[in-house]
Amino acid sequence: MRRTLGAVLAGAALAAASPAAAEQVVLPSAGRYLSQSPPLAVGGPSPRVELPLQIHISAGLRVLVGVAPDGRPVSVQARHRLVMTGRGDYQVVVGAPATSLRAGPGSESQPGLRTGQILWAGFSPGRKVLAVDATLRPVASAPFLPVRLIARRDGERYSLTVTNATALSQVAFAGRAKRAEVASLLDDTRRQALAGLRLAQAFVTIDGPSRTRPVRIAAPVRVEGVLRFPAAPESVSGGTQNGRDVSFAATLGDGRPLSLHVGVRGGGIPLLRLVARTVPPTRALTPPGSASWTVAARRRRIRVPALLARLETTRMQLVRADQFDRFLENPDTQGPSRALYVYASSAVRPPRASAASGSGSGSDALVIALAIAGSVVVAGAALVFWANS
Amino acid sequence: MTPNLTAVRRLMVPLAGLALLAAGCGGSSSSGAPGKIVLAVDVPVTGSPYIAQTIRQGAELAADNLNGGGGIRADGRNYRVSVKLYDNHLSARQAVQDTRRALDAGALAIVTDGTGIDATWPLAHQDHVPITITYDGGTGLVDPATRPNVFRIAPTNHGIAFRYAEYLIPKKLKVALLSDDSAYGQDGAADIGRAFSENPKSVALKLTLPAGETDLSPQILRAKRAGATALLAWGQPSTIAAVLTAARSRGWNVPVYTPPTGADPFVRQQLADHPEWVDGLTFASGRMTAEVGTGPFLAFQSQYESTYGADKVGVKNSQGAAVIQPPEFAMYSNDFVHVLAAAITHANSVERAKVLEALEQVSTQGANGDSRGFNEQSHEGVVDDDVYFARFHDMTFAPVKDDALSATLPVLPQTRTG
Repeated sequence: MRRTLGAVLAGAALAAASPAAAEQVVLPSAGRYLSQSPPLAVGGPSPRVELPLQIHISAGLRVLVGVAPDGRPVSVQARHRLVMTGRGDYQVVVGAPATSLRAGPGSESQPGLRTGQILWAGFSPGRKVLAVDATLRPVASAPFLPVRLIARRDGERYSLTVTNATALSQVAFAGRAKRAEVASLLDDTRRQALAGLRLAQAFVTIDGPSRTRPVRIAAPVRVEGVLRFPAAPESVSGGTQNGRDVSFAATLGDGRPLSLHVGVRGGGIPLLRLVARTVPPTRALTPPGSASWTVAARRRRIRVPALLARLETTRMQLVRADQFDRFLENPDTQGPSRALYVYASSAVRPPRASAASGSGSGSDALVIALAIAGSVVVAGAALVFWANS
Repeated sequence: MTPNLTAVRRLMVPLAGLALLAAGCGGSSSSGAPGKIVLAVDVPVTGSPYIAQTIRQGAELAADNLNGGGGIRADGRNYRVSVKLYDNHLSARQAVQDTRRALDAGALAIVTDGTGIDATWPLAHQDHVPITITYDGGTGLVDPATRPNVFRIAPTNHGIAFRYAEYLIPKKLKVALLSDDSAYGQDGAADIGRAFSENPKSVALKLTLPAGETDLSPQILRAKRAGATALLAWGQPSTIAAVLTAARSRGWNVPVYTPPTGADPFVRQQLADHPEWVDGLTFASGRMTAEVGTGPFLAFQSQYESTYGADKVGVKNSQGAAVIQPPEFAMYSNDFVHVLAAAITHANSVERAKVLEALEQVSTQGANGDSRGFNEQSHEGVVDDDVYFARFHDMTFAPVKDDALSATLPVLPQTRTG
């Protein structure tokens, strides 16, 4: 946010100095993250990072989130797979609040663990696969997951709310821009988004003074999930029932609601499995009635401020999506990275809060005392019954 | 008895108070007097003098450098590093005694070649003192889970064995896996056996050789008859020399591969009368230069030689130049002292437990320019990727060209004239 605001303000300052002069304003692009995390921060002092220019890394990440019956994340595990190409020595660090880790399937090297860091060091002979299975501290990692779940059971009714958690407030700019240039930039942005490329750096020319405006940005997130009930539910809303299963799918964001609600009557307490991944804002980037924004802008006389606003917000959405694709950072900051988030009902019981555990202990003690007293009464009664029989 | 004890207790209270006062004064930065950190070096001075000397000198050189810069700063005070030498005679029993003495002397860390580590680490562990191996690559000696105070900066047998499998199997050789019956040989045999276990067709035979035996002709003949087209000999330098002698004296020019002991000066000294027998001998070890080039290592070597003189092998090449041994193992002990200093700085303390914990969280630049450090998952300072192969020619060695890593490494100067 600071970077974006900085660019905007720098532009605004320039404009104030010479009101009539045109200025180039930096647009959101890959690496110019909108918030501090994700990627998860590197904890502790980082060793010297060594990654020669000839080595490139593509990253794949699968995050497994164990959720409690109420939807809270209780465990976070990550499988991070880095594929290196190029020859040379490397020493890289990936920020991760890991409590334990081990080499993942196919890894050709052993990962190292330090407080808040996963370390990789060695020599790449031309191609090398580095894979790690890491257990992350939920407290430090769960706040940066892209989806938040709230599950409630109220008598026979069960409800699940899935919310896009990537939304945040940003500052965009507005000003007089050239229609053709903005349309062309939108086409470039769309092409890169559809090709799955990270956004290249870009500038837009603003004539005269620019001003800022607040915007709300969220990375579009595609979610697909299944609730498996012990018995077939009686009725379902917001999902599709297939026997004991209720499936649901939606894209949260990109002009659609940021939340999804599934309501179920009957069936008991379900097990959940949900897969989430960021997707490009294809709806917002689709030119109206034309093959390109350049053509659309020419034919339909779309207002330039609207075009500029769309350019900025879609680019911010793409940058935001890129952040969540780099939940664990790719050490090659220019390299591609994709992440898949899998939420599944956890067998682990969520830890009790300390106050609750205190009262819980008291309750347990009372139950035990009552059980012992009851046993004594029953045993006594049985003895009397036996003696009199 | 009771009155005596009471009297002793009465006396102890003011004494303890005085001691605390003295300790407090000593720790004060206002006193200006530097503190002392004892680093114990337990090596086989009388069992394996070359290794002992190079490890000791590497550690002392690092200590001198640190002390020359004012020492190590921690807790508002400067500390000088004092190296204390112990001779373990290659004996585990002696190593135990040395460890006890080192702990009593207040050692903050112990550097060892690896002798007796199975018996010494629990003693040091009780006092939260790290022990670092800078020579023995034996598998099982280092394990962060079961031996949290044991570290190593030296190529591991495991790494060497697997790198050999990776290097030799594609060559379609029929390899005779030879190991001597020393602990070093048997450790290596286990690792090399595991490394080749998935490719049994690459193995012509496995054979144990008697360590110290000078005539290994029967065993080498047996390997030849088994169809071996390469020998991978894992053992003491004397065994390597005997293998080469047996093969070459019979006119069998079979390629011979060895662990780091193949580069031990003893091998070349033994074969000084037949330098051509050494030609082609390939050994695996930890690389001495990183991608940054030869600069850092040569700077270290230059400082080492100007302080202690070059480690002469005791042979000459065909040009009559004296052959010297690059200070590989000195580099490892040197690096450890710098990692220890980084840990003390990170912990901001010279408290043993805190330093031990901090050792897993720091890295420094090693003498060869590479990064050196440990972590919670691994206490190995030399990763498997750092194992390279070098081949002898004319009593000096050069990295091989048919291995991806080795091909990137430069040739280090190994001769001195005059």
